[in-house]
Order: sequence, then structure tokens, then C-alpha cells
Amino acid sequence: MQKVGIVGYYQVKLYSDANYGRYEMIFEASRGALDKAGLKKKDISTVISCTNDYYDGRTISNCFTVEVGGGYMADESKVEMDGAHAVLYGLMRVLSGNHNLAAIWGGSMASCYPYHTVRLYETDPTWERSLAYVNDVTSAGFQMRAYMEKYGVTAEEIAKVAVKNKKNAAKNPLALKEAQLPNITVKDVLDSGIYADPVTELMVAPPCDCVAALLLAPEKQALKITDKPVWITGVGYNQDPYYLGDRDLSGCKSMNLAGKMAYNAAGINDPSSEIDVAELFEANAHEELIFAEELGFAKKGKGIEINSAINGDLPINPSGGALGGNPPCATGLIRIIEAVKQLTGEAGDYQVKGAKRAVASGQVGMCAQNNIIYVLEAN
Amino acid sequence: MIFIIILIIIKNEIKMSEEKVIVANKGLVRADFAFWVGQYLDKFYDGLENKKIMGNKCPKCGDVFVPPRKICGKCNVVIPLDENWVDLPETGTLMNFTITPYRINDRTSRKAKDWTIGMIQIDGSNTSVVYRLLNMEPEDIKIGMKVKIEWNEKTKGDPSDIKGFLKV
Repeated sequence: MQKVGIVGYYQVKLYSDANYGRYEMIFEASRGALDKAGLKKKDISTVISCTNDYYDGRTISNCFTVEVGGGYMADESKVEMDGAHAVLYGLMRVLSGNHNLAAIWGGSMASCYPYHTVRLYETDPTWERSLAYVNDVTSAGFQMRAYMEKYGVTAEEIAKVAVKNKKNAAKNPLALKEAQLPNITVKDVLDSGIYADPVTELMVAPPCDCVAALLLAPEKQALKITDKPVWITGVGYNQDPYYLGDRDLSGCKSMNLAGKMAYNAAGINDPSSEIDVAELFEANAHEELIFAEELGFAKKGKGIEINSAINGDLPINPSGGALGGNPPCATGLIRIIEAVKQLTGEAGDYQVKGAKRAVASGQVGMCAQNNIIYVLEAN
Repeated sequence: MIFIIILIIIKNEIKMSEEKVIVANKGLVRADFAFWVGQYLDKFYDGLENKKIMGNKCPKCGDVFVPPRKICGKCNVVIPLDENWVDLPETGTLMNFTITPYRINDRTSRKAKDWTIGMIQIDGSNTSVVYRLLNMEPEDIKIGMKVKIEWNEKTKGDPSDIKGFLKV
């Protein structure tokens, strides 16, 4: 794959109820990324946004972001999935050879709508939707139980993932305040109230408000903009069947196939030794384990044995991950930004020492139906 | 006419700050969607109305789908409308379950009683359907147990004809 560089980024701090209008938040992120890279609006040659009409409460929701998202009288298009998918679209635009700078932004404000209720709208209107049994929370209950039953993993072991990520979030100044829990224990997680048994409240990535932005440039241009570009050396994406009842929820085949595709592009043979840090979009604590196994960091059912602490063998979600805050349409994009910070040495208190190669993933759909993963490398 | 309702909420009394919240959809437009279920589900729902479960079988891989499909995603082939229908029993195997105190379509309220929702594979099919498990205490529920359909007395030819599943 031709090298494409990440040359700038910006993330608004996560809030459970931000004192921002949407326009302001989008502008802060897209302008912030340009400023950080020392670039101007006129340098952007294509804009890819990521929002969701249901989450924005309007149709063709990118029409109202023209002025604030860098799309004013410009080449602009929208992806209605995860922000990490918008990065794929931007990457393809750059790889087409027609663009010198792609600006990608994504996000929404979950404080403005009932997120878990809206997720019901993903279900088939001619079949499951009218009964309202399935949303992101009940499907997570099925997924966690399927994983525990198949591999004999306990809820206590899965709660440890939430403990790690909430403690990591406490070191990340941009994480959601409510998710920054330096003293959290396994018992706190297990006692935090059932959302959908066996999933408890503190195992669920908390929906919140945020917009994040990223800038991509082709190799030559990237080196002109910054002496610290981060290179996208591989990308993979895949999706599982739609109906929950058609899938084996104890694993995530689409993540496995996405990982293989990305590793193949980046020339990775042994992921657990060749990758220094992973930022994975875990919508629930157990998904981090499922993804880590599907990505080859551990054998199936053995994800809990990975030393995934910030100073561990393979740090996973040192930023706190999505358990540190899950702003719909931005979460996967933030995982990419966090991986970039690790590779440029900008991760502050949660910096993984000497990180040279990272993976970052995004997802969309019930039980991570659609997954995308990037391999990123320091210059 | 004014269509927009403006609510003024005093959010934090100490700060004495005010936040204006515009509720955008109240009374403005009502646009209900109607979905044509398609010929396959139409036949399936006719079956439900008569308290019968019908699936259809992929001519290539042999997977039996409930509800029926026009296309097998795995094989990428059409299952003809007039062929490959399979009459299935009202019994099945519990493949998975979850218990939730929340109404999905109203996240703000807890129900008085927990709902138990199961994934059930109807005997003779290869897929699972999601329905409530009825009259079961959490300690009774075991993955792999046999269950059977509890029909609503009056059926309408839609997903609600199946009230839920009972322990066999």
C-alpha cells in the first residue's frame, strides 16, 4: 500500500452533557486539527464527515455542518457509520491521487437524544423492531453470555477489563469525567446495576458528547507538513450477518477477517509480538477480550491472560478506550487519534514507552457487526 | 402558528445558569413509516396468524431460516418463493438469554419486573429468533433447554402473535 500520513488531529473533551452547540463543537475539532498542523482551510482538498441522521435528529445531517466542518464551497461527503470508517473513505480519496489533504471529522451529542433507545432503529422494521426486544444493550447481554458460556470466562474476569480502562481513563484528561475512576474495583463493576444480565452499567461504554477530527496527506505532502507523521500501513474491514440469530456471538469473525486483511497489508506475521499498543473500540468490556483474541493477541477464550496494562506486554486501550467515553460517530476516530498520540509520544501520563507500531479499531452495529482496523506506524 | 416548544430549565441553582432547550419534534410533523414486509415475510406472517411456523431452506447449503429469506447471504443465491418451504414445530432450543430491568423503547424507566429475553432456535432451523421467556425464574433458565411457543390467543399475522416461549 502507498504510504498515507496522519498529519494532524484534534479531539474535543468528552462530556456527558456538553455546554456546546453542535456547530461550535464541530468547528473546534476541525479548526483545531488544522491549527495543530499549521494549515489553513484552503489547504483542505476533500472533507469526509461522519454523523448519523438519527443521532442528529435531521435528515442529510451533513448539510448543516458545511460552514463549521471545513466543507464550505468544497469537496465534501459523509459516512454514516463510525468515524473510523470515515477515515477509510478519506484514505481512499488520498490514494486516488487527486488529493493533497483530506480532513475527516466525526461525532455527535448523545446528551441530546436517548442513545440506547435510538439503537432500536437498527433492527429490522418488518420483524424485530415492533417488539422492541433488541438494542445495543440487550444484544451485549447475549454477546457477553455467549462468550462466557463458550470459554468458561467469568463476569469477574470481564469486570477486570472495565477496571483497567476506567483507571486508564483517569490518566486521560480528555476522557469522560464520570468514567475517570482511579479507585474502581471489580466489586464496584459487578455491583453497578444490571443493564442486561450479565452486562452491568460500568461494563457499558457510556454514550457522551464529542467531535474529533483527523488530517490525512499523501507521503510527500505529509513530510512537508510535519516531521512526525504517523503512517497508515494497513487497513482491514469486514462485516458479519445482520440478524443476531444468524451469528456466533461468542466470537467476532468480521474482526478476525479485518485483522488478517490489515496485517497482510502491513506485513505483520505475529501480531502479539509485532504490535506495541492497541486502541480498540470496545462498546462493552467483554468486547475488548473478544477483539484481542480475534486479532491474534491471545488464544480464543484466553484474552484475559494478556498483560494489557499501560506498562504491560501488549497495552490495550491505555487511553481508557470507549469505556472512557463513547461519543457516537467519534469513538473509532478517537481510537485512531489515541494510537497516533502513542506513536508520536504525546500520550502524557498514559504513554506506552517506545511504541512504534499500533493498531486502532472502529465498529458499528449490534455486537460489533461491522469492524474496521488500522495498522499505524511511527515515522 | 408557532410549532416550536421552548423549555427553560434552571439547571444549576448555585450557578444560577439557564439553559434553553428546544424540543424540535413536538407537534411539528408526524411522519409515520409503513414498511411492506415483502412476499416471504408475508407468507410467514400468514403462518403466524394460523399459529404455524414456516421457514425456508437454502437450495445450496441447506440452512433453514426463520423468519424466511429471499436470499441466503452465505451462498448468495435466491431461494425461490414457491419452493423450499419447511413446516416447523413450535418447539425449539434456548441458545442464549439476557435479563433486563429496562424497557428498550423507554430507557428512562425501569420495569416493575425484569424481562427475560431469549434467543431460540426453532427445531429444524439453523437460525435463532429473539423472544421473551415466560414463567421462568432466572435459576430455571439453562442454555440448551427445550422451550415451546406460547401463542397469543388472538393472532394478527405479525411478530406479536408469539407471546413468548415456555419451558417444555
